[in-house]
Amino acid sequence: MVRKKCVAMLLAGGKGSRLSSLTKNLAKPAVPFGGKYRIIDFTLSNCTNSSIDTVGVLTQYQPLVLNSYIGIGSVWDLDRKNGGVTVLPPYTESSEMKWYKGTASAIYQNINYIKQYDPEYVLILSGDHIYKMDYSKMLDYHTAKNADASISVVEVPWDEASRFGIMNTDEDMQVVEFDEKPVNPKNNLASMGIYIFKWSVLKEFLEMDDRNPYSSHDFGKDIIPLLLDEGRNVVAYPFKGYWKDVGTVKSLWEANMDLLNDESQLNLFDRDWKVYSVNSNNPPQFIADDAEVTDSLVNDGCVIMGNVDHSVLFQGVQVGSQTKIKNSVLMPDVVIGENVLLENVIVPSGIEIPNGTVICPSDANEVILVTEDIIDEISLDIDTLSSN
Amino acid sequence: MNRMLGIIDATAFRPEIEDLTLHRSLAAIPFAGRYRLIDFVLSNMVNSEIDSVAIFPKYSYRSLMDHIGSGKQWDLNRKKDGLFFFPSPHLHNEYDEFGSFRQFSDHLDFFLRSSQEYAVITNSYTVCNIDYKQVLNRHIENRCDITEVRQNGESLQMYIMSTKLLMDLIEDKTKTGCKTLTDIIVENRKSLTICDYEFTGYAAVIDSMDSYYKHSLEMLNPAIWHEVFLNDRPILTKAKDEPPTKYGKNSSVKNSLIANGCKIEGTVENSIIFRGVHIGKDTVIKNSVIMQKTTIGDNCLLEHIIADKDVKILNSSQLNGTEEKPHVLRKKTIQGAMMNS
Repeated sequence: MVRKKCVAMLLAGGKGSRLSSLTKNLAKPAVPFGGKYRIIDFTLSNCTNSSIDTVGVLTQYQPLVLNSYIGIGSVWDLDRKNGGVTVLPPYTESSEMKWYKGTASAIYQNINYIKQYDPEYVLILSGDHIYKMDYSKMLDYHTAKNADASISVVEVPWDEASRFGIMNTDEDMQVVEFDEKPVNPKNNLASMGIYIFKWSVLKEFLEMDDRNPYSSHDFGKDIIPLLLDEGRNVVAYPFKGYWKDVGTVKSLWEANMDLLNDESQLNLFDRDWKVYSVNSNNPPQFIADDAEVTDSLVNDGCVIMGNVDHSVLFQGVQVGSQTKIKNSVLMPDVVIGENVLLENVIVPSGIEIPNGTVICPSDANEVILVTEDIIDEISLDIDTLSSN
Repeated sequence: MNRMLGIIDATAFRPEIEDLTLHRSLAAIPFAGRYRLIDFVLSNMVNSEIDSVAIFPKYSYRSLMDHIGSGKQWDLNRKKDGLFFFPSPHLHNEYDEFGSFRQFSDHLDFFLRSSQEYAVITNSYTVCNIDYKQVLNRHIENRCDITEVRQNGESLQMYIMSTKLLMDLIEDKTKTGCKTLTDIIVENRKSLTICDYEFTGYAAVIDSMDSYYKHSLEMLNPAIWHEVFLNDRPILTKAKDEPPTKYGKNSSVKNSLIANGCKIEGTVENSIIFRGVHIGKDTVIKNSVIMQKTTIGDNCLLEHIIADKDVKILNSSQLNGTEEKPHVLRKKTIQGAMMNS
């Protein structure tokens, strides 16, 4: 193997249980986002756009869709003769079957993958976040500071700081303390779960952590505090720009709505920083004579007969005539009948919504994730109404 | 399976559509929002289980080669068979006729190396969705030597014959005096059994500005695009990493086909909008075809316009063609408010 300067390890095993039925058969990084993408597209595109061409993707929970989606990585230009993308599932060792217990143990189990490239640095990423970031700049920062570990941080509103892992730093951005979900935060710099390590240091500390039976084998909870205890040089790298953890139905909906804001820092139209994704083969979208489409993102293959406002429509969505869609996210191949009213909803892939259905929360702050069960219930109501 | 060889004659040049072929061959003309003309015959071949396709281009084929690439989008980047590109070694006008045997004989090795029993030979600019397997079945059942696909008495320039017969015809070209496939059909001195196959689906031959404009707008007819695009024989094309299209707060779009990557602030009616087009505020576009990455400023009025790629239309421009004669804006030109046509 040709030596690599930096190898990326992308943690994509997350279950995303707070995304409810969206992650029933799907790992969180594979959840559709932004009318065309899956969440992991942002991280993989960041790698390519940052000239990082060796990426190990660690999968565990519901990996079928994710594995086949990543394939050999050609979508992100990561099909390389040396390096490229490699999917790393858990495996059995001669002595025992090892599932990935924590983020650190997942990396530790794949130490041989990293070893074969003998890198100077290892970049740890998570496939759960929506953001555009040039990792090569963070690597420059890490090298300039001669750090053992760098942690990317983002300013969060003070009143939300207690929901995050907070880095307390001195004026040189040296991390002095790591506060996991502090009740009284001393700082508002939240860890983005993005780390760069010197490979020699990471190896040493992963081995140390593996020997500790009381460890939860997590980067935030165990590895970083251990580095600080041992007096290693840990620095915070301040990131400016759009960053969102889409861990809940509400935050997933919000992040989609953010895309409709013209001032959004997450510009999908930037030709110098493209977000790559598997391109579906669909004809152009057809907007019918009596349709109205405003303030929305619409992908190829949609057929729109009704009224769509402030919404995000994935490929192959059909909207019937006299139907009104507002503040909603319609995932791939959703079929919406006629005379339907939808507001503040997320409709997962492939769901069919019958004629005359009305789903809109009484509280404008609420978001409804439409499921087959909800539709069955409503159609039952419609049937009883029409039979009366 | 794998019984047919696909041969696309992409040598055609038509002065009637010169405005769109200054920088590209006829086969590479953009069509229906995100395709090039060749996508239709090429996809038809792939969907008919043809996995060896040879393209014979002649004029300015840079754009065509860029579009086709390794053939990956059509699953033709294969170790065995796949896609072959055979440009004319000379610019002799003998190549210009459809099905010129000289062009084939210059690349005879390809035919000698191929093991497929039958050959499908087509032009590069017919838009339709046809299953060549059905044509082949008929061809075999009726023991034809050559089957010609036709519609309403006109040839669609699609032929099936055995590869052996094709090679015989190529080799005999000096003896018989028949230099092209058309000569063979018209003169038929060899007393071959030539059969007609009437294609009943939608077919559009794009070989002039008139036919380009007419058939482009026909794509807005749901019955037609359903037939051409939305069945289990998809038309494939080069993928672009464009985001979804963004419709602005005051956009109004009616009866139009819109590709990905556009930003639409204004009004669009009865039009075809290709990938990455930007349309400004208070701008109205009617009965027009706007190709890739063209930007149209604010407050413009465009009617019966065909804008090629990368055209820039400045704010407050008014441009009109007529239903009979659309106004064509050439590639990469700048159209100013004061340059009204």
